[in-house]
Amino acid sequence: MPHKMYRYFQALILMALGFFLGFKIINGNLSWYINQRFAPLTFLAIVLLSILATAIAQHGEREVEHHHHDHGHDHDHDHEHEHFAGGNLAFLIIPLAIGILIPARPLDSTALSTRGFTTSSALVTSGSSSTTFESNAEQRTILDWIKIFNYETDLGPYIGQQAAVVGFVYHDGKLPVDQFYVSRFVVSCCSADGFALAMVTEWPGAANLEQDTWVLVRGPVQAVEKDGRNIPVIQAETIEIVPAPDQPYLYP
Amino acid sequence: MPGSLFAWLWERLNLFATVFLGIFIEAVPYLLLGTLASGLVEMFVNREQMARLIPRGGLGSALAGAVLGLAFPVCECGVIPLTRRLFSKGLPLSAGVAFLLAAPVFNPIVIFSTAAAFGWGRMLFWRLGLTLVFAVVVGFIFSFEKDGGKVLKVAAPVLDLQPKPKVSLPVAEKMRQALIIATDEFFEMGRYLIVGAMLAAAMQTFVPQASLLAIGNGPLLSVLVMLTLAIVLSICSTVDAFVALGFVGSFSFGSILAFLVFGPMVDIKSIMMYRQVFKSRVVLYLVLLPFLMSLLSGLIFNYLVP
Repeated sequence: MPHKMYRYFQALILMALGFFLGFKIINGNLSWYINQRFAPLTFLAIVLLSILATAIAQHGEREVEHHHHDHGHDHDHDHEHEHFAGGNLAFLIIPLAIGILIPARPLDSTALSTRGFTTSSALVTSGSSSTTFESNAEQRTILDWIKIFNYETDLGPYIGQQAAVVGFVYHDGKLPVDQFYVSRFVVSCCSADGFALAMVTEWPGAANLEQDTWVLVRGPVQAVEKDGRNIPVIQAETIEIVPAPDQPYLYP
Repeated sequence: MPGSLFAWLWERLNLFATVFLGIFIEAVPYLLLGTLASGLVEMFVNREQMARLIPRGGLGSALAGAVLGLAFPVCECGVIPLTRRLFSKGLPLSAGVAFLLAAPVFNPIVIFSTAAAFGWGRMLFWRLGLTLVFAVVVGFIFSFEKDGGKVLKVAAPVLDLQPKPKVSLPVAEKMRQALIIATDEFFEMGRYLIVGAMLAAAMQTFVPQASLLAIGNGPLLSVLVMLTLAIVLSICSTVDAFVALGFVGSFSFGSILAFLVFGPMVDIKSIMMYRQVFKSRVVLYLVLLPFLMSLLSGLIFNYLVP
């Protein structure tokens, strides 16, 4: 590939990657891929990509003049052609192609079925516990409830409290027909480490709820023993179908 | 039914895309910072300065390399291009290998993120301690190889920058050239990051993790499962402590510690990128030595700290 063209392609790909990340931020999809906390790093990446793209485009421009004046470099030039093969360029197009051709979708029941899920996890960052436990019951997320059931030695005060959690429906095929899981993915870093937390929900019409439907579940929480541990179970009073939240994941 | 097979594949493809882009978007800023650091080192550090900074003796240089991360806060994506550049500036093999293995953990960002997840306690202490020991041991082993050419691949030449006497260049020109070097390196290393991220995403899509975690009991098996997970997940060392937190309760202290020490040294994407710096046989050592040491320490901790 000619020298100048290679440089322009590089600049083009860098710009395209920058725009790609920018679009993900603007349309709010970035949080489908990485923890919100790392969004500033993505901004930084966009800035760096634009700087590199500008530098490399200018460099391509300057190289052209350089080669016009300097005929003695013909030999080097031939040698360089090997390095200016399009191989590396093609690879950097892969993420763009995957991002554009495959419709964006956050982790859902498909991921849940390969990764499994947990109804009781010790997931908690140090120091955050006390605030969670004092919070208003109706504002707790699935993550908060599961934390409480893991860390509180006395569940007494929590039993019977009214929960109002948002999550997606998951049927694993093993629960009785009048129960389903209301589930959320927890993402620490990026979608590669996302794993699902689930709360058993009792609801007579459970079988009619479709997999991956987002619901708001309201009802009192009870403790049920499973594998020697207490897990929270919601006895749903109302179930409301809601749009998927802007941030589909919970962050520990 | 071909229809349902197609639907099944389509769902998997969606999952693959989400996981792949997750790893890629998370890693890109770090890779950019690493290649930029490499470009700056190329233009602003010369061999004489390097020789003065790093001791020559095997153990001393391995130790110096291992703590160099405190000055260069890079994670495992950024450290690889930077190490290669430092080698070309005359960094001794032992120091470079120790830096490569230790820097993704032994740097301020990761120390704070580990403390944020586990507190300033024994997990942080042992993570730092074991990382330092492993890095120095492997670095020291490499100090017996005096011929760098047997270990290192020839660095890809900087494409079209004529070797000029660098001291005489004005700073603006040096910066400009550093950006060109960073770009070429981003394209070169990015390629392996992408291949690694695709492999990791494919494994996560088609290998059920649930069954992996289900077998994770027993002192030996639990460590093996966590080490396998470290390779497969391919997550950045700056945040892996938060991921490890998710396994507290279902996994022992020893196996989580092994995950936190081994993961930053070896995972699918870093193996792909190591192959750009080292000969294949050496990459094997760089994977196996940390693996065996992590396995052994995980086992010891499992017996000492039940």
